[in-house]
Amino acid sequence: MAEAAESPGDPRTTSPRPLMRDLKAVGKKFMHVLYPRKSNTLLRDWDLWGPLVLCVTLALMLQRGSADNENDGGPQFAEVFVIIWFGAVTITLNSKLLGGNISFFQSLCVLGYCILPLTVALLVCRLVLLAKPGPINFIVRLFVVIVMFAWSIVASTAFLADSQPPNRKALAIYPVFLFYFVISWMILTFAP
Amino acid sequence: MKQALVDDTEDVSLDFGNEEELAFRKAKIRHPLATFFHLFFRVSAIVTYVGCDWFSRSFVGCFVTVLLLLSFDFWSVKNVTGRLMVGLRWWNQVDEDGKSHWIFEARKVSPNNITATEAEARIFWLGLIICPIIWIVFFFSTLFSLKLKWLALVIAGISLQAANLYGYILCKMGGESDISKAAASFLSQTVFQTAYLQRQQ
Repeated sequence: MAEAAESPGDPRTTSPRPLMRDLKAVGKKFMHVLYPRKSNTLLRDWDLWGPLVLCVTLALMLQRGSADNENDGGPQFAEVFVIIWFGAVTITLNSKLLGGNISFFQSLCVLGYCILPLTVALLVCRLVLLAKPGPINFIVRLFVVIVMFAWSIVASTAFLADSQPPNRKALAIYPVFLFYFVISWMILTFAP
Repeated sequence: MKQALVDDTEDVSLDFGNEEELAFRKAKIRHPLATFFHLFFRVSAIVTYVGCDWFSRSFVGCFVTVLLLLSFDFWSVKNVTGRLMVGLRWWNQVDEDGKSHWIFEARKVSPNNITATEAEARIFWLGLIICPIIWIVFFFSTLFSLKLKWLALVIAGISLQAANLYGYILCKMGGESDISKAAASFLSQTVFQTAYLQRQQ
């Protein structure tokens, strides 16, 4: 077809089935977050679909059932959305100002995909909250959230730390720590 | 001798599937499905945003629906309709040492190649330009009516649509890496045409 005759550009755009190609790329990145390895995939082929899906899922699940009909979770939904995207943008700006050699969208991609463990934590927390409330309930949720928080930090550090000069690594990682801490806090203090 | 060989192959390629190709070339809109989807997602997003209060009282449902429509529109315009309707494409490439490059390409027009029709090009560019303008109008109306919870959605809408518009404009400008040069040449062309038309009257 016309694609084959076009100039040899990005092999991605000359593929005749861009939808499948993109879906597979997103799935591959999710796998890379679950099993963080030293690899360049998250950085080389960045995309923001995963972060969008995770952000929307997180915002939907963090809805509180409100007694007031007019206030149907509106502010909380938009709050989560804004916190995640604004937080990610701020971290990216910070790392660029510190002299990191990672591009804007690559950094957003990594930070967004590494929210996956925390989304899993929220799912687990919601299930645990169906059981009897009490201190054990809270301790289980605390444990799950802490483990997933650590997982997120490890996964994002594996990809982001390399892009910083060695004496700035801590300065670049600290906001990431804060970012995931705020999200973990929202998850832990969630009560339907 | 060589000329005869070339002529032979040209004859062969013309006869092969001739009628279909002729019909294809004569059609005003060669990719009806792509044209439909180019406009469908953008217009649905705007209609859903405007008609939110009538469809359902749920803020979250409306927000997620409009966001999904905007995302589908972004993906389809960037990956499918731009390539099919006007022969332009743009993407980002990260090379070995981590440097990211934005690449903008326009399909070269050649007699053997099937180029875009005027109708398709017009629909493409009109759709591409008008919708971000509508979203900017929404931005100001949201700001001034103080319905701030919709602001996040409107900003997302503007960013997604403006990104495609910007990418395709850069593709269209082709070799012109300097926006001011391209704007100047476009303006001078328009002024010349207007002056010429006025002179005719």
